[in-house]
Amino acid sequence: MTGVRLVRLYAVCRRVPVALIAIAACTIGLRLALLGHWDDYGALQLPLIFEAAAAVSVVATVSSPFGEQERVAGGWLPFLRPAVTVALTAAAIGLLAAAGTGEHLVGGILDVLRNIAGITGIGLLCAGALGGGLAWTGPLGFLVAAVYALYTQWHPPALTTPWLWPARPPHDVGGALCAGLVFACGVVVLTVRGARDRAGDPAET
Amino acid sequence: MTAMATAPAPGRRLTAVAGAGAGLRLLWLELRHNAMAWVLPVAIVLFWLLTYRRDMTTPPMWNLRAAGLQSGAVLDFAIPVTGAAAWMGSREVRRRVADQVAITAWARWARLLVPWAATTIWAMAGYLGCVAVLYGVTAHQASWGGPLWWPAGVAAASLPAFSALGFVIGTFLPSRFTAPLAAIAAFFIVALSTELIHGGQSPWQVSPIVTGPWNLGPQAGVATFYPFLPDLSIAQVMLLAGFTLALLGVLTLPASGRAARTVAAGLTGAGLLAAGTAAGLTGTGTMDAHGMIKIPALHDAANDRPLQYTPVCSGTAIPVCLNPAYAGYLPVTANALAPMLSQLAGLPGAPARIVQASVSFQQDAHEGMIIRTDGPRSGSPQPVVYLVLPDQFGDPAMTSEQVADQLVAVYDTRLVARVTGDGPAASPSQNAVAAALLLAAGQGKLTTDQPPSPQGGIDPGQSPGVAPGTPEYAAAERFAALPEAARRAWLLRHLSALRAGQISLAQLP
Repeated sequence: MTGVRLVRLYAVCRRVPVALIAIAACTIGLRLALLGHWDDYGALQLPLIFEAAAAVSVVATVSSPFGEQERVAGGWLPFLRPAVTVALTAAAIGLLAAAGTGEHLVGGILDVLRNIAGITGIGLLCAGALGGGLAWTGPLGFLVAAVYALYTQWHPPALTTPWLWPARPPHDVGGALCAGLVFACGVVVLTVRGARDRAGDPAET
Repeated sequence: MTAMATAPAPGRRLTAVAGAGAGLRLLWLELRHNAMAWVLPVAIVLFWLLTYRRDMTTPPMWNLRAAGLQSGAVLDFAIPVTGAAAWMGSREVRRRVADQVAITAWARWARLLVPWAATTIWAMAGYLGCVAVLYGVTAHQASWGGPLWWPAGVAAASLPAFSALGFVIGTFLPSRFTAPLAAIAAFFIVALSTELIHGGQSPWQVSPIVTGPWNLGPQAGVATFYPFLPDLSIAQVMLLAGFTLALLGVLTLPASGRAARTVAAGLTGAGLLAAGTAAGLTGTGTMDAHGMIKIPALHDAANDRPLQYTPVCSGTAIPVCLNPAYAGYLPVTANALAPMLSQLAGLPGAPARIVQASVSFQQDAHEGMIIRTDGPRSGSPQPVVYLVLPDQFGDPAMTSEQVADQLVAVYDTRLVARVTGDGPAASPSQNAVAAALLLAAGQGKLTTDQPPSPQGGIDPGQSPGVAPGTPEYAAAERFAALPEAARRAWLLRHLSALRAGQISLAQLP
């Protein structure tokens, strides 16, 4: 019972319900977008934009409103942080994959899985380096680079590095490995030290 | 007496000075604690990765580099600026100090405009640095022309607009989710705004990432023979300035005094009016013959006159003269055509010069684009052949070898046909001499593959070539095997008769 209450309090203070609402909004947005008619650029870039939005919603939950006090007193944090983040990531993947059901979602479920996991991983690494507040800068910078990499598929010279995995085919092993590695590293950083708290910064909601 | 009455009281002047000083100090504090300073490296890295590197792969021409700068920089800076501004806008609520700052002596609008200004200043400083590097390198590489400031200005005008958008969203919807989602929303709107462009008169071409007719794309042949048309850029700046004004007006509307609310409402209305007018004007624009968007209400007729320039010419037997903006292509062009030019120089019918011509653009019925060589300019004092480089036709990026191959394929045959009178109705000996000249110039084959004309299709002025095993083929081989001096001497004596069809194959040496 105490464990459940702890998880609930953790989720509330990290704004997990709001994150779930944001992810649900991304799902609805993607579903509506898929109903429209897009050219090749739009069909490839749209899902990526919604996947990035879902990923940054997950990343936004890692910031602590209590800072140092919680870090010192919270013995369960190394378990709560990765558990909640991985669960949210899984929810985002499931919901966005479901949004593509019955419509032509370019790249399919594998693309959704790889992109959300990888972009979330970048956000977690940024949270460790920059703090939870600015953790979104990495994923969104990556989004712009990935959209450009998709664009270069038509306009050479193409960017084909597996580190820009959204531009690789869904079954590409290199891209999947890079995304998986980044996500794993992000979860490890989150587990070990959480989002960075900068000395002197006031706590934020 | 009067002077004393109208002079401002010393106390009021002191208050104004103190207020300005306090404002500057507040701005300095905001600059030191602004999130944009942290996010700026992301924007600069994106600019280097996506815009600078790509621009450097294009020929060093101001029109191409400026177009790449505008569309690239707007996308590179959209996310960082909007996100940072939203983060700053939501700061008071996130840090639970909204009540504390609400009771300060500063009016709400003034308090909010300062962090917006600080965010914009950081973004602008980063952007100007990027422009300085890109334009500095281009100035070093470009052979002619100068920086195009309107495209750079459009990207600059987008920064206050993105900043205002993010700040307004952050102020009214403060949360930890606001900054990333606002930034993605801005990127979504900008990146996919071009999906709405259908047809040449779409008002959506006012999107700041559009640099010309959308289905034409950046073209080397645009704004080199004719001035850059700023019509679209003016509309884009008007749109962005209008949005900025409107958003700042929205920002200052709530919880201000009556006068401030009136001014804010006026600003919002004026901004929206300007933005709507800009989109409407863009909808009246059409692509002109030089590949740029002409908006009648914003157009300056002086921009329709061709640019004056001194061409750069090669030292080949027949000079090849290019627009100085294409000076980088001169060695490739001259080397490719030199073998043929040395054979033809001085012969009757040979051109005195080969001069680069401009191209004209026309939209077809299916939203496609037709690019044609501009007609020869009247009053040319010398017989000239007009040449168009492959890049002017919007062909994909080519290596120097590919450019040379294409020039040889198109212009060697055309030059030979001009001198020998070769063509579909030519005599067998004309065909043979034409094929021999091509072989002697190093084309290595006697069968003239008909290259596509720049307008597409087969050039009707060209010979069908000679087939192996025919008498023409044997005569061509024989004529090509002559020493160049002998071949030239024979041509000087017999070219008129050859063109008149009075020479038989047997009479060829």
